[in-house]
Amino acid sequence: MSYTLVVAEVRRGLFEERNLDTLGLAHLLGKEIRLLAPAGAPGEGEKFCNAVIKVEASETDFQNPLTMVRVLEKVIEGGGRPGAILFTSSSSGIELASYAAGVLDLPLITDVSGFDMERAVFLKSYYSDKIFGEFRPGEGTFAVTVRSGSFKDYATEKGGAASVGTIDGIATDPARTFIEYVEEEKGAIDITKADFLLSVGRGIGSKDEIAGYEELAGLLKAVLSGSRPVIDKMWLPKPRQVGTSGKTVKPKVYLAMGISGAFQHIAGMKDSDCIIAVNKDPEAPIFQYAHFGFVGDANKLRDKLKDIAKG
Amino acid sequence: MESLSPDRLFTCIQCGRCTGSCPEAGRTAFNIRMMVRKRQFQRDVEASLPWYCTSCGACTLRCPRDVKPSEVVIDVRSALVEEGRIPLSIQKALENTFVQKNPWGRSRAKRGEWVEKCGFEVPHVGDTASKVLLFTCCIQAYDPRCMVIPVNVATLLRRGGLEFGVLGEEEACCGNEIRRIGETGLFEELLEENAASLKEYGVREIIALSPHCMNALKKEYGNLGIKVSHYTEVLAGLLAAGALRLNGKYEGKAAYHDPCFLGRQNGVFDPPRKLLRSVEGLDLLEFARSRETSLCCEGGGGRMFFEVEDAGLTRNAEVRAAEAAEMGADLIATACPFCLMTLEDAAKEKGQTVKELSEILMEVI
Amino acid sequence: MNLLVFTKRVPATQEEELRIVDDGRRVDLSKVPFKINDWDNYAVEAAIRIAESAGGAVTAISMGDGESDEVLRRAIAMGAKDGFLVRMESAIEDPMARATIAYNFLRKESVPFDAIFTGVQSEDDQFASVGGILAAKLGLPYASMVVGIDAFEQDHAIIRRELEGGLQERVRILLPCVLAIQSGINEPRYVSIMGIRKASKVERRVFGADAYQEGSRTMIDLVRWVYPPKKGGASMLEGDLEAVGKGILGILREKGVYQ
Repeated sequence: MSYTLVVAEVRRGLFEERNLDTLGLAHLLGKEIRLLAPAGAPGEGEKFCNAVIKVEASETDFQNPLTMVRVLEKVIEGGGRPGAILFTSSSSGIELASYAAGVLDLPLITDVSGFDMERAVFLKSYYSDKIFGEFRPGEGTFAVTVRSGSFKDYATEKGGAASVGTIDGIATDPARTFIEYVEEEKGAIDITKADFLLSVGRGIGSKDEIAGYEELAGLLKAVLSGSRPVIDKMWLPKPRQVGTSGKTVKPKVYLAMGISGAFQHIAGMKDSDCIIAVNKDPEAPIFQYAHFGFVGDANKLRDKLKDIAKG
Repeated sequence: MESLSPDRLFTCIQCGRCTGSCPEAGRTAFNIRMMVRKRQFQRDVEASLPWYCTSCGACTLRCPRDVKPSEVVIDVRSALVEEGRIPLSIQKALENTFVQKNPWGRSRAKRGEWVEKCGFEVPHVGDTASKVLLFTCCIQAYDPRCMVIPVNVATLLRRGGLEFGVLGEEEACCGNEIRRIGETGLFEELLEENAASLKEYGVREIIALSPHCMNALKKEYGNLGIKVSHYTEVLAGLLAAGALRLNGKYEGKAAYHDPCFLGRQNGVFDPPRKLLRSVEGLDLLEFARSRETSLCCEGGGGRMFFEVEDAGLTRNAEVRAAEAAEMGADLIATACPFCLMTLEDAAKEKGQTVKELSEILMEVI
Repeated sequence: MNLLVFTKRVPATQEEELRIVDDGRRVDLSKVPFKINDWDNYAVEAAIRIAESAGGAVTAISMGDGESDEVLRRAIAMGAKDGFLVRMESAIEDPMARATIAYNFLRKESVPFDAIFTGVQSEDDQFASVGGILAAKLGLPYASMVVGIDAFEQDHAIIRRELEGGLQERVRILLPCVLAIQSGINEPRYVSIMGIRKASKVERRVFGADAYQEGSRTMIDLVRWVYPPKKGGASMLEGDLEAVGKGILGILREKGVYQ
C-alpha cells in the first residue's frame, strides 16, 4: 500500500500530455509515485515521479489490455500492491482500467475530475457533467481513470526518478493482436464522424473568407462544416451542413465561428461535448448553448489562431 | 384517420391537375401524378422523392376524382417508415418526438415556460371556468423567434376579455407533421395522449396558435366534440364584437401570405385579412397567388427536417420575397410559424421583413 | 452465430435541469423521459447487421427495472430474436457489481454466445466499464471503442478501435470476445412505433437479479451527489486575440482533438 502506480499512455512514440493529469492526481494522493511505461518510451514523465518501471514490450503490446493485466500482476508480484493504479481517461486508458479491475478485482472509478483530499472522495461526472457523484473506493488497491485537463497543474517535479527495474517476459496474447494504425480517410465528407468540427456561419461575411477557414481546419485537424445560410449561398457544399435539415453532429469539440445560433442550427449540434462560440454579437443565442464563448471578430480570431498554430 | 382504399387510387385518370398545382413540380424531380400511377401498378418509388412533398394540399383540392394524392404520399411514406428507409434527419425528428413529444428534442418539462414571458398569469386550462385551451405548438414553445407568438396571442386574448388556459408540459406535439411523415403509430400515440388530457380537463374549445395544430386537432383527431379554431378567427371575432380595440397606427404596405394549412386546407382566408384591414395605416396587398392558390413556403410536410438536394434550386420563399418586393410591399404578413421561419430566412437575404400577424397587432393595441 | 447485446434504458437528460434531492442522496429523475442508451442502439444495429449478413441471431439483455422491457422490444423491432430482462428495482451504480451480476447470469443460465456487444458507455453513469470487467471475468478478450468491424468470422474478428485525433487502430481479436461499440460505427435503423408494438408479441424472459448476486458487492461507495463546480452559461474568454487564441488551443488540447 506504499505507492501509487501510474500507467503511462504512450502513442506512436509520444508521451501523451494527458499523463500529466494522472501524475498530478498521483501527487495529490501523497504516496511514492511509480510510473509504468514501455521501455522505449520518451522520458518526459520521469521528472514527475519517484521511480520508473520499464516494461519490455512494444508500445502497442503495452496498451493491449490482455498484456497489461499480466504486466500488472508482475508489478504487484515484484513490488507489492499499490494503493492505487491510475490510468488516463482515454480510449486506451478506460479499456485497460476496466479490464484490469475485472481481472484483479479492484474498486474502479472512471473519468475522475476532482479529488477531495480531506474526505478522500473522488468526483465523477454523471449525466454529461450535469451532476457529479462523490465516490469513495473500498478497502485495498483501487483503480481510477483520470479526466484529461483536471489535475495537470498538480504534476510536481520530484527531483530525478530512480528506475526500479524492468518487467520482461511478457508474451503477446494471440487472443488479441495489434495489426496497424489507420489514419482518417480523406474521402467522402461525413461531418457526423468528425471529432472536431470547425463550423462557419453567415457572420464570416463572404465566400472569400472560406479559404482562410479551410486552412485553419487543416492546421487544427478539424473538419469544416457550416450553418444553413452558408450552404444556401453555396460557400460550402451540402454534406457539410449542420442543422435539422442537414446533419446532426455530436463531436468532441464544436467551434462555431460567425454562427448566431438559430433554432434549427442549435438542434443539429447542441449535444456536442464542448461548444466554443465566436460571434460579434454578445446577444447571439449560441452563447446560451456554448461552454466557452468569445465576443469578437471571427475572421480576425481565425487569422490569429493560424499564426499561433503555425508558429 | 384517413386510410387509402385501393378504389380511390384507381379512380385516378392521370389528368395531371395535381402536378399542375404542385409547388415542387417542374423545379424538382417530384411528380405526384407519376407517383399515383406507380402506386396503381404497385411499382417502387425512388426512395427520396416522397419526402419532397410539402403537404400543401393543392393536389387534393384540385383533383377532380377525389384521389387525394396528398394521402398517397403519406401512404408511400408510411411504407418507408415501417421499413426504416427514411432520411436520417427525419428519423431524428421522429425519435425526438417519441422521447420528448416534440420533433426538436427539447425538454418536455420546459414546454410551458413561455408563459413566464407574459407578464401575467396564464392558468392551466383545468383551472379555468371557460375550459378554453390555447394549444401552443412545438416550435412556438421552444424557438425564441417564434415564442413571441404565443405570448402575443395570450396578451391579445386577455385584452379581448377571453378566459383561457394552457396544458403546459402536458401538451404533446399535435402530430400533424408526424402523420404527414407517415409515422402512423407515433401519430396515434400523440393523439391518444393529447385526447386523454383534453378529456381529463374537460376542454370545450381549442384555440390553435399554429394552422398545423389546428388542422390535426380539427380534422384528424376524430370526434372530440371540441370546437377548434385558429387564433385569427377568435381575434377577428373579438374585434368585430368590439371586445378588442386597435388604437395605434402601423404604417406600411403588407402583403398577406396565406399559409397552406390555414387557407387552402381549412378555408380560413378572411379572418386574418379582417384583422389586417383593421390596422390603421396598413395597406393590405394581395399576392397574385393568394388564397387557394397561395404559393407554399415549403415548410410543411416534414420539410423542416428534409432538404431537397439541389444546390441551384430557388426556394419558394425566395420567390415570395421577390414578389413582395416587386409589389412594393414593405413587409410580408403571415399567420403560421412555419411560414414565418421559412419566409424570414429567405426574406432576410433580400432585405424584406416578415411579420407574424400577432406581432403587427401588438404594435397597435 | 449467437450475439448478445446489453442494452440499457437511460434517462434523457441532455435538455433537462437536474435537481439533487433527499439531502444529496438522490437525483430527481421523476420528470425526465427515458430512452434507449444511444451507444447500445449502435451496438444492437452492429449485431443485427452481422446476424443478417453472416447468418445468426441476436439476443438483447437488459439489467434494470420493469420498464427496461421497452429497450428489449426496441431491439426486437430492430431484428433481435428475443430478449432477457434481469430485473432489479434499484439502480446499481458500481460497474464491478453490475458486471458481476451479468457474469453470474450468463453462467447460471448457460446463455450461449459467440460474442457479447455492449455500448462503450451509458449516458447516465458514463462509467464505460461493464464490458471490460465482464470480459475479464469471463476470461475473454476485450476491445472497446470499436468504431469499425472489418470482418466477423466464426473464430475471429478484425475490428478498428477509435483512438484520439482521428487515429484508429486495427486489431485482430479471437471469438468468443466482448466488444464495446462506439457511437458512429453505423447508422442505426429507424424503428417505427408500430414495429415496436409488433415486437411485444415476441417473448422477453424476465429473471430476478437477486438470483445472481453471488460475489457481487459494492466496491465503491457513493457518498453523495453534488452539482458541478461551475454553473451553466458559457465561460467567456477574455483578453486580446493572442490570449483568446492560446486559450482556445488549450481547450482543444484538453479535449484531445489537437496536439
